[in-house]
Amino acid sequence: MFKRRRFIIGGLIILAALSYIIYGGMQQAIVYFVTPSELKAKESASTDKFLRMGGMVVAGSLQKDLKNLTYRFDLTDGNASFPVFFRGVPPDLFTEGKGAVVEGRIGPDGVFQATTIMAKHAEEYSPHLEGKDGYPKSFVPGKELTQQ
Amino acid sequence: MTATLGHTSILLALLFAVWGIISPILGARGNHQRYSALTRIAILAQFVLVTLAASSLIYALVTTDFSIRYVAFNTTRATPAYYRVTGLWGALEGSLLLWEWILIIFSGLVAWIYRDRQRETMPWVLMVFSIVSAFFLGVIAFVSNPFETISPVPLDGRGLNALLEDANMMTHPPLLYTGFVGLTVPYAFAMAALIRGKVDEAWIVATRRWTITAWFFLTAGNLVGAWWSYHVLGWGGYWAWDPVENAAFMPWLPATAFLHSVQVQERRRMLKVWNLSLIIIAFSLTIFGTFLTRSGILSSIHAFSSGPVGNVFLLFLSFVLLSSFGLLAFRADLLKGQPELDSMVSRESAFLLNNIVLVSALFTIFLGTIFPLLSEAIAGTQVSVGAPYFNSVTVPLFLLLVFLMGVGPMIAWRRASWDNLKRNFLWPAAASLLAGVALFIWKVRDFLPLLGFTLFAFVVLTIFYDTALALRARRRTAGEGVIRGLVTLARRNQRRYGGLVIHLGVVLVFLGIAGSMTYSIEREATMNLKEHLNVGHYLIQFEGLKGSRQPTHFRVEGSFRVFHQGDEWGVLSPALKFFPNQQSPVGRAVHRSTISEDLYLILSGFSELDKNQATLKVLVRPLVVWIWIGGFVIALGTLLAILPLGKTSPEAS
Repeated sequence: MFKRRRFIIGGLIILAALSYIIYGGMQQAIVYFVTPSELKAKESASTDKFLRMGGMVVAGSLQKDLKNLTYRFDLTDGNASFPVFFRGVPPDLFTEGKGAVVEGRIGPDGVFQATTIMAKHAEEYSPHLEGKDGYPKSFVPGKELTQQ
Repeated sequence: MTATLGHTSILLALLFAVWGIISPILGARGNHQRYSALTRIAILAQFVLVTLAASSLIYALVTTDFSIRYVAFNTTRATPAYYRVTGLWGALEGSLLLWEWILIIFSGLVAWIYRDRQRETMPWVLMVFSIVSAFFLGVIAFVSNPFETISPVPLDGRGLNALLEDANMMTHPPLLYTGFVGLTVPYAFAMAALIRGKVDEAWIVATRRWTITAWFFLTAGNLVGAWWSYHVLGWGGYWAWDPVENAAFMPWLPATAFLHSVQVQERRRMLKVWNLSLIIIAFSLTIFGTFLTRSGILSSIHAFSSGPVGNVFLLFLSFVLLSSFGLLAFRADLLKGQPELDSMVSRESAFLLNNIVLVSALFTIFLGTIFPLLSEAIAGTQVSVGAPYFNSVTVPLFLLLVFLMGVGPMIAWRRASWDNLKRNFLWPAAASLLAGVALFIWKVRDFLPLLGFTLFAFVVLTIFYDTALALRARRRTAGEGVIRGLVTLARRNQRRYGGLVIHLGVVLVFLGIAGSMTYSIEREATMNLKEHLNVGHYLIQFEGLKGSRQPTHFRVEGSFRVFHQGDEWGVLSPALKFFPNQQSPVGRAVHRSTISEDLYLILSGFSELDKNQATLKVLVRPLVVWIWIGGFVIALGTLLAILPLGKTSPEAS
């Protein structure tokens, strides 16, 4: 009987420890999916959360500084738009008027500080994707180009 | 023609699988001998037919027979022959056929090896194989048919996903599938034991080598996947806690737990129900993994396109869980009454703790993987669970596991005396603490890495110390030197020393993970021609871009001259590959490895207008190379544990 009680107590301690690390881990790693309108509506309640926001890059809103690798643009879902700031290299498909998904937090200035940008093309990894001409503009296929 | 041959073979094999299920049941009612021969024939017939089907698909792929839909979608005329063969597992339908093929090879091997042994058990073992095989054959025949034809026949195919055009893709999926399927062997023996009501240790002893082999393939499959991710995906990491990576990793945890807990049952007749449950869970997780990958319910880099296949797998998973645990409950009476733990300070309890840690890790990873589904179903909120969750929950668990790796193999069975503890652990513990202090003084100041490195040292030192004591004993009793003594020890107790070598390998893998998790440097910059960038001990100079046309794609290469503390290392050329059938380019990162750190260069982009500008991402990742070295050490240990080198006493462990 004594042994059984010891096992139960041991088990409870293990369960408690496990719940604690799971809870702690979830707190810092859960990403909430929002749209620009949702974020506009409850901006103040979302300041400490890690968010993922999807929308369209508003045409004419993109300001890029290639030297410092900074990008500013607005993301819209048709109803509302939200300003985004990003430092780094966005994916190739990222451009004005196209879909994009950003991850990050709202900064103190009310701008979404993105740590990641994903260009939105749901089937990116599907093996059966029919694209068009996939060549980069500065290299014309067929012509061997070397710099200088 | 080829399509008809393949599909007919699958249908016929399905008939034999059904026969393989019915035959043992008929045999149980009399005329046992004849039916057990017939059951074996059912397996061998499936083996021949599935091999025929797989060969016809490979033949169709190699000869680019575009009248078969699968071939048209997964090869092109330009695809080199070896990548045409790997097209067999490049997409859903073919990969299921590969799975079934490996399964039936395993079944055939089991049927052949045990043709004269385990007469009472074998029909049931083969029946379990036939059930699993029948399921896969049914899916291949009716739900996701790789032999489906198309008309009109296209002039050229669409080709493999560009990411899969890589040498590692030849090995990663087959290794992983072999690991998954390998777990079917102990599962089948366990179920056969339950069906027969003979729940002693026989099934464990019979499947020992099979289990360690399956475990090795699972480990190798995951490591090669990590290697592929690191070398090909070009993001500089080897593990992203992607749902499908988790699906491949999860069966490894109960399989590892099982390898240890069966030793407790062999030695002490304990943990019978636990061991049966572990192998049921491990096997179920292989099916769950396939469900997760094929159902499209979670978006992932490895996910195949969605379809009805997911539901079919979910049904089969439910069937496996219900029937296996049902059978376990049905035999509960036979499993009662086992010895209790004598002491908390004993090898049994170290192994038990190791099992608790592994199962806890499984639970946390499982929860994190399916949490987005739960959240959406219950609360209606869309969330995802990121890598930080998995890192923060698994790191403490794995550190505990490392500690147990040091304790478990050396501590005495039943009840460890104070003398036993002092003899085995005093010096290794003292020396590893000293190593920890030295690391702290040198530069490791963060708690978790410091704890990790100290524990790694502890495990390595316990192993070396124990071996040294054994060698000293050999010298005293037989006058053997170090080499001679090592050979004698390893041959006398292959399982133990194989296990210890595997532990060393695992520690090396963990060392690489810990180093690269904690002390990596990342820099990203846009550079003009001849401009340079300082990262860590490196200076990197941009020397220009070059474009070239390849058979299947167009390649843009950046040249970067690298200097390491003043020494010139030459030019590294990360590239971007533009495939005509892919929207975004595929990166080809390059790296230079040394035993202390990797330098990893990624060409993130270049100016669309001006070829004199490129954006480069530089990563310095310490100790990564030890992950791969650890993998080789694990392979060596596995070979030592399973090869019949003679002189092995089955009792020793």
